[in-house]
This record gives sequence, structure tokens and C-alpha cells, in this order.
Amino acid sequence: MLVSRKWLQDYVFLPDSLDSADLANDLTIHTVEVEEVKKQSEGLEGVVVGKILSIEKHPESTKLSIAQVDVGEEKPRQILFGTLAEMHVGRRTAVALAPTVLQGKEINKIKIAGQVSEGMLCLYQELGLRDEDEPLEAPEFDKDVKLGTPVTHALGLDDVIIDIDNKSMTHRPDLWGHYGIARELSAIYRKKLEKYDPPKIQEGKDVKIEVDIKNPEVCGRYMAVVVDGVKIEPSPQWLQDRLVAVGLRPINNIVDITNYVMYDLGKPIHAFDAEGLSGNKEGQINIEVRFADDDEQITTLDDSEHILGKENLLITSCDIPVALAGVMGCLDSSVHDETQRIVFESAHFDPTNIRRTSMRLGLRSDSSARFEKSIDPTSCEDSLRRAVELTLQLCPEAKVVSNVADAKSFKLSQGPIELSLEFLRRKMGVEISEKQAVDILERLGFEVKTKKNSLLVTVPTWRATKDVSIADDLVEEIARMYGYGNIEAILPTYEGAPPSKSPFKIAQKTARRVLAYEKSFTETYNYSFESPEWLKRIGEDISHYIRLDNPVAKDRPLVRRHLYPNLLSNVANNLHRRDTVKLFEIGKVFHREDPGERIHPTSSDLLPRQDLFLGIAYADKKDQTPFLVVADAARAVLDQMGVEDYIIEKFSMPVDFVHNGRCAQILVDGEQIGVITEFHPVALQRLDIDHRVACAELVLSKIALLAGDSVHYQPIPEFPSITRDIAFVVDASAVHAQIVNELEAASDLIESIELFDVYSGEHVDAGHKSMAYKIVYRSKEKTLTSDEIEKEHAKVLGMLEKKFSAKMRA
Amino acid sequence: MKQELKKIQEEFKKQLKEVADFAGLSDLEQKFFSRKNGEFTSIMKGLKELTDDVKKEMGQMANDVKKDLEGLFEDKRLQIQQKEMADIVERESIDVTQPLLPKKAKGHLHPITQAQDKMEEIASNMGFVIEDGPELESDYYVFGALNFPDDHPARESMDTFYISDNTDWCMRAHVSNMQVRLMRKYNEDGTKAVRAAYPGKVFRNEALDATHEHTFHQFEAFVVDRNINIGNLVAVIKELLRGLYGREVDVRLRPGYFPFVEPGFEMDMKCLFCRGEGCRVCKHLGWVEMLGCGLMHPNVLREGGYDPQEWSGLAFGMGLTRLAMMRYSIEDIRHFMSGDLRFLQQF
Repeated sequence: MLVSRKWLQDYVFLPDSLDSADLANDLTIHTVEVEEVKKQSEGLEGVVVGKILSIEKHPESTKLSIAQVDVGEEKPRQILFGTLAEMHVGRRTAVALAPTVLQGKEINKIKIAGQVSEGMLCLYQELGLRDEDEPLEAPEFDKDVKLGTPVTHALGLDDVIIDIDNKSMTHRPDLWGHYGIARELSAIYRKKLEKYDPPKIQEGKDVKIEVDIKNPEVCGRYMAVVVDGVKIEPSPQWLQDRLVAVGLRPINNIVDITNYVMYDLGKPIHAFDAEGLSGNKEGQINIEVRFADDDEQITTLDDSEHILGKENLLITSCDIPVALAGVMGCLDSSVHDETQRIVFESAHFDPTNIRRTSMRLGLRSDSSARFEKSIDPTSCEDSLRRAVELTLQLCPEAKVVSNVADAKSFKLSQGPIELSLEFLRRKMGVEISEKQAVDILERLGFEVKTKKNSLLVTVPTWRATKDVSIADDLVEEIARMYGYGNIEAILPTYEGAPPSKSPFKIAQKTARRVLAYEKSFTETYNYSFESPEWLKRIGEDISHYIRLDNPVAKDRPLVRRHLYPNLLSNVANNLHRRDTVKLFEIGKVFHREDPGERIHPTSSDLLPRQDLFLGIAYADKKDQTPFLVVADAARAVLDQMGVEDYIIEKFSMPVDFVHNGRCAQILVDGEQIGVITEFHPVALQRLDIDHRVACAELVLSKIALLAGDSVHYQPIPEFPSITRDIAFVVDASAVHAQIVNELEAASDLIESIELFDVYSGEHVDAGHKSMAYKIVYRSKEKTLTSDEIEKEHAKVLGMLEKKFSAKMRA
Repeated sequence: MKQELKKIQEEFKKQLKEVADFAGLSDLEQKFFSRKNGEFTSIMKGLKELTDDVKKEMGQMANDVKKDLEGLFEDKRLQIQQKEMADIVERESIDVTQPLLPKKAKGHLHPITQAQDKMEEIASNMGFVIEDGPELESDYYVFGALNFPDDHPARESMDTFYISDNTDWCMRAHVSNMQVRLMRKYNEDGTKAVRAAYPGKVFRNEALDATHEHTFHQFEAFVVDRNINIGNLVAVIKELLRGLYGREVDVRLRPGYFPFVEPGFEMDMKCLFCRGEGCRVCKHLGWVEMLGCGLMHPNVLREGGYDPQEWSGLAFGMGLTRLAMMRYSIEDIRHFMSGDLRFLQQF
């Protein structure tokens, strides 16, 4: 919202010595965030009033003309201009004198086709004073304006505009007009606040206006009055200037008055053309406030049509809609050039109803923006009085011809709220006196009665709609005016024990460290949402997925059950640019069929289960068996976490996108804690991925609870070890894990077994493979003799030959 | 014999001069001092046959010559050793600027992980328990328990993702859903103080562009104790920011509104780049908006199982995504969730 410093001066004295930047800062610190402060003259410093002495055609350009312009200097300036606006000799207009910067744009002395231009004739638009969509026009000044006068003086642009962030005052309905801001400034600077007290309306008797509110739950008050004899014309300059200053476009006197009152008091009001309220009997106007019928149609004054529903509130006269309550008037009842008799409305509507209507219809207005904030219903009266006062002032012929209708049922909870001084001090952390507290509250319009060690505080109407209702709210009022910067920062003492670390956090940290810094995987983050199209292409069954009711991206309405689909997509995208892609992600997945956390402390209803998964994905254009790299990474994570006795075994999944020849599950005590697989090459083709890809998914939230110590210290051995390398040929289906198991069982003297080569191809029969192991023998009791070793080793080889039909290689 | 000794001495010196390496040195040693048939050894052997008088004289002389020769030999050895070492240095000289080949690939942690780790570490040292919880959450924990009125705009589907077939569930719009969960988890029926921090992933129904994401990350924390005041709030946050930036920071509070705190504040930090003078980073304001914070609303304490007459709390929350964007001057928020290695491998 734009606020004019001059306008504020109507209600609170702000000395010239008060710098506008300081004012903005003080407002920010104590009340609302000021985004920008701008002098109206900013960017117009080099623009003066000049008189056109002569105009000639440019000899070489059909579009340009050459003017000699008297700008109050010794000699006239030669200035080239185009065809955008009409210019004639003798006209006094705005001239930017080169060199200068006009609204951020440099204006320099230039030569166009041999002709020098020493400045620019400026349109209102170029001065930044009118919107681009308004008619192009240059300012025109009277004869009595001295040439060379800065245009900012000539146009009266001596105001300072304060731009307040609307988001910072959504909870402060009282601040949406100048009077509310002035009230804050009066409290900040301890200055007197002028009373907002327009004269009482002198009722007329010609017309009887009656209001019937059918739905008082959404319309707490409706006031209306009829004024006759208005003459629609442009507003006087002072009024136009004020509206322009706050970014509004002057329309005509009556519309301008409604806007003025809205920006003055923060209360939207509306003016109807009384002729537009058709169907009324002579001397009688009936207004009814009711919900629309389903599919009821209206045309609002911006000439757009709307189909309404039962929840939209209408203002009607003789059952014909005349306004969409709080949002916008209807076209047929709007004020136009011939309007003579008007009805002013000042009403109070339910904020939620207005917001929903405005959202549903996509129709936002300055009025709806304010009604959404819970405006003070008592301001109906002041705003109506102000509107009538201004109308009578602007149209001396006009007079009030009706009673002032006032249908109301609103309630305000003004308290009193009891605020104990002890409570206040405890919350602020500051010794604050009763006198200080009372002073601040009273400056903000609260009424305070003192009781022993506490205050009884009555909330003013403009703060009582939702903003201030409990003692804590009063603490805020006092503290913000006292100044948050004046409160000393002291760390709270803490007597609790140091916090225990969550196993889930530790597991994540370990996994990240191992994968990124040992196994050179890069961490990625993905959306929790999935595209059904992608899942279907993969071959994933989407029937179990939780769906979003209102996905932002229409292509991602599903809530993920796995990490692999997004990872697979990451791999595909990166493979366009890289030969190797190694990614992992840690994140939650969502399974509706499994029980999760409670939805409420006392409810037995449960949320979907949300396990923390670790996803690992890898592809290398040169690696035809990426499974092994991913499995190695998964093992490293489990080992580093100290997960004991996990088993990786062949696994088969009933889906076609999994390469079941290269698929494994990870088990701990028979429970699956992860799956490692390559994708089936045919399925990858469906996804336009030309290279082998492997993925693993580990259930980190389960693994975290199985974590132990990754280090198992053994005393340094006393006796020497003997190492034997063996190589043998077995059937290709032989399984390393089984061989290791059998080896371990075959001899008590085996200390360690390490596979160091697997080979198939030349010199190995088809359907077979050669495997090579390093076996270390050691006794804890003595130094083994070579005889003992040979005997033991022969036993081991015998077992391999027997159980695995292994043929030893030389 | 005297002459023979002299001759050998001369001969040795002459030949020693010509020796250029350890091999030559070894040959020379063999030639003169070999136990079997070294020239010098042979002379020494001849000593036996001399008379005692002569033997003594000659023995003395032979010893002197031997010492002299050994000394020369050792000098030569050192000389050759030095030369050999210098030769190795020359011969084995390498290009020290050459990287290790083949290049070892490096892994990377996501920038938000790194920001989060740092915050977690500082908070943990300050006594905060670090947790996370449901991302798909009930309306109660996301809004109801946090003093959001039923008709609050944030509850509209314009802002929050809701779940089909269960209007009570949504994707949490902030990590504040953890406030009541963690109070109840740790406060032993409202009898114990709690400090908790709970960074995590949040979701807003927002159209994507360079500055808007529907999925981003927040860090939030609260303290509940018997006497928590505004001064405590400022001090706790300052301490955290000091840890984050590794130096003292200036902060200021200004009024702000969040339903779950009262009073509520926005906190600005004096710009670290220009120290408040105004620069591009702080948009010439001298201050950078850091976070929202406040004293916990009594209704929230009540939902957390505390008696607000006895207990009070502070809470503050900030955007981790925004923090990372500021830290690295990242121009487009969409990079974070892009899975693009060109982005991820820079961290």
C-alpha cells in the first residue's frame, strides 16, 4: 500500500526535520515493513518547464520535428521530437535538459541525422506519472509558470511516498488507510493524533431507504444513505493529486470520493447510481443482503460476467443484484456521467466469505483486500459521514435526501483484558513500570484501568476484530513501542541433559559420508511427487500411490512410494552429458497401507507410514554390470553403520522392469531392509536409456535401528599366518557367498578369505567360471608347521571339489 | 719395501683419481685391499718375513700409508655418493603440477544438506535435540494445533497440497508441524523443559519460477522453559547465527505475524558484506531478512501439553534453501531439485 506523507500530515504533525528514511525505519521497527520510500520528485530532477518557440520539420526524417525551446536559459535549446503527442508553438510543456537521468534513463545531447538535440520533450508516461495504458499526453502549463521552473514544483510533486509491504499488515486491518498509519506514528513520536470526526449526516425526508440483511452471519452491518443533486465531473486538483500519489487513477468526483475514503480510513465504501436500483417505488429504496442463488449471473462494473454460487453474497435491490458484496459493484448500478442521485453504502462483511468469493471468481479489488482483513464494523459510520461531507463539499448543489439506514448485528469483544505487570515483565524480560505500560497502551487507543499489580485494558474497536484478544497480544503492543532493540539479549539457562542424537540422523550422516566421500556418489534431492506417465513407462503399478488433491504441476499428482523413479530420471537426464552418473538420495516415501504416526495426540487414526529411504543409482556407459558398483556402495553403508549379519541374496521381483538375473535383496534376521537391482535392458529401452542402470533402495529408518559398532578390535596375533592363493573352475551358477560360507565351515584355522578374481572366457569352459581366493590360515595357539597347513589346505580343497565340483587350476 | 709401499701409494692415488662410480671404487678396493691378493695386502703379508726392527719400522710406515689411503678412499666414496644422489634428483625429476592419474572421481553432498548439517551441529551444541517427522501430515499438526483459525488463508488449497480422499491430510506447509509432536514427545506430560530443532522438507502449492519452488527446506527450533522472554529469543538466535557465520552478528526484531507465536517478529541481520552500509546483497537496506520468530502462543503450549501459566516458549524458523541461495549467490531456486550434476557437483 502506498502512503502519502502529506496525507498523513492531516492527522499527525511530522516536522520537516524528520527525515523520511528515518520515518520509514521507525515504522518498520515498530509497526509494519516499509519496502521503499520515494520522493515524488525522484528521477525528475533535470526536467523543467519550457516554451516551444518554433517548430520545423527535420530535413531528413519524416517522423522527427525540430523545436526551439525556451527553458529559461540564455539561449533557447534545440530539441528533436517525434509524433507521439501533439505539440504546437507557444505550448509550455515538460522538458528534460540533457545531460540528465530521467526515471533511470540517461538523456544526453545527441545528433540525429545531422541535427543536434539538447534534451527531450516529455510525456506524462515518460515522467513516470501515468500508466502506459492511459492516453499519451504531455503536461501543459499555464502562462504564469516561469520558464525553467522544475516540473516537480510546477506539478506540485513535493510529496514523499511510503510503500508498505501488504503482507506485513495482513493481521492489522486498522492500518489499511492513512488514519491508521498516522495513529501509529502519533504513538511512535508521541505526537497528538487529530480526531477522525466528520460531521453527523443531516438526514433528509424525500426518500426512505430500508435495509434487510438476510444473512447477518456474513453481513454484520449495512449502512446506506441517498444523496441527490450530485454533478459528475472530474475531482478538484487536490483530490486528484492525493489519489495519484497513492497510485490510484482519478475517475470522477464520486468514484474518487469512495476511493479517497478507503485510503483515508481504510474502510471500503461503495456508491450506486440510485437510478440503477430499479424497481423501487418513488421515495423508497429497499436494499437486501442475501446469498446468491446457484448459477445466478451478474455483470460487474469492470464489464465482466460471473456465474455465482450459493456461498457468494449479493447486495440486491428489489431482488436484482446491484453489487457483489465487498468485492465490486454491478455495471447497471454504477455511477456514470449523467448520475444525479447516488446511494452510498458502508457495510461490514465476513472476511472469509469475501476472500473466498474473490478467490473463486478471480476478482480482487482494493475493497475485497481490505474486507478480507476483518475491518472494524464501527468504521461504517465515520466512513459514510466522510463520504457525505466530501460530496457536499465537491457538489455544493447536492443534499442528503434520505434517512441513514443502519442495519446491524455485529459484536465486538473489546475485553477488558487483564494484564498482570508481572506477566508483562516476564515475557519482555525487562523491568517496565506501570506508568510506561499505561502510557504506551493509551497512545495506541487502548483504555486502561489500573488494578493492583495489573491493568484492565479495553481494546479499541479497530483492534478488536481479531487482532488483540489476549494478554500476550498486549505484551506485543507494549514491547514493540518500547522498542525491541531496547531489550537486552540474554541466553536462557538450560538445566537439561545434553540431547541424545537421533539414530535416524546418525544413519543419514554415515550414509552420506560413505557414499559421497568414499564411494564418490553425488547427493541429489528430488520432489516427493511423481508423474504417472513416467511410472507407467517404467512399468510401476500406480494403483497404491497416494494422490494429491491439488497438484501444482498437473503432471506430478502422485506421492512417491519409492526413490528410484526420480533417480532413474536423474540418471537419464545426466547421461546426455556425462559418461558416468553416480547419484544417491535420502528421503521419505509414503505408504498408505502401512501404519504411521498418529494424526492427533488422542486419536487412534494413523497417518501413512513414511519410511526414510536411501536410494542409490549408477550408470556408466562402459560398465555392463553396474549392479556390482551399487551393491558395493550398499555394503559400504551397512558396514560403516555396523549392521551385523546382513545377507545379500538373489531375489526376484514380479515386474518386468527389474532384471531378475541381477537382482538381490538385503536381509537382516529374515527381514528385508533393501533391494539392489539392475533394470531390465528392454525396459530401459522403453525409457530411452541406452545404457545399463542399477539402483538400490535401502530402508534407512529400519537400518538406523540395527546400527552397531563398525569396529571390532582383535588383539594383535601372537603367531604368524600363512597365506595360500587358490584358483579353480566351477559352474557359472556357483555363488560366492555360499563358497565363503563353506570355506569358513571347512577349517577352524582360516582367518580370512578374499575373492580376488573372477574370470570366464578363453581357457575356461563355457558355462563355467574361474574364481581365485586368497586364504589366510592362522592358529591362536601356536605357529603352524607346513605339514599342518598342507593337511588343512588339502581338506579345504577337497571340500571345494566335492561340494562345488571345483577343478583346481595350476 | 719402502719403495714398494710408496709405489703402491702413488699407484692407488693415481687410480683413485680415475674412479667415477661405486663400481670403480669397489674394483679399486678389491685390487689393493682384497684379503686374498690385494696389492697392499700382499705387502702386509711380506712384513712377516722381516726382522723385528725392520718389521716395526715398516709396520709403522705401512699403517700410515694404509690410513692415508683409507682416508682418501672414504673421501672419494663420499664424493661419489653425493654425485650419485644429485644424479638421482636430476634423473627422477617430475612435473610436480601434474595431477594424479587416472583421476579419482569425487562425490558431493547437496548444498542444502551442508547448510542443514551446519545448523544441526550448532543447535546440537546448544542443547537442542534434532529430529524430523512426518512430511505428509494431519491438518491438526500443521494448522489446528498451531492456532491457525479454521478459515486462515494458508489452509486453502491455493497454498497447501491436500491429499485426495482424505481432506484431513496434507503435505506439510512448514516444519512447524513438529512443535506439538516434539513437545509431547519430550516434555513428560508437561513437566519438563524441551529444546528441539527440526529441519526438513516442506511443500507449498506454488507455481515454479526462478524464485518460487513448491518444495523447499526449512530449519525451525523451539525452546520451552519456565521463564522464556523476548531477550532470550534474541540471544538464542544470535548465538545460532554467530555459529553459522563464524562471527558476531547484529540483529534487529520488528513486528511480524505468525498465528503460532505472540508476539511475533521478523528478524533482520545487519548485512555482513557491507556491515550495514548498504550494498547489492542487502538491496541497499543495510539489513537482510533472516527469519520469523516469536514467543510461543499460549494455545500452542496448551496443545503441547503445557500449562501456559507456568511455561513459556520461543520459536524461530528460517529457510535453508534461501540460506544456501544467499551463501552461494544461486540465481535460480529450481536448481536445488533438478538432479543436475552440473549444479550438484559444484558443492
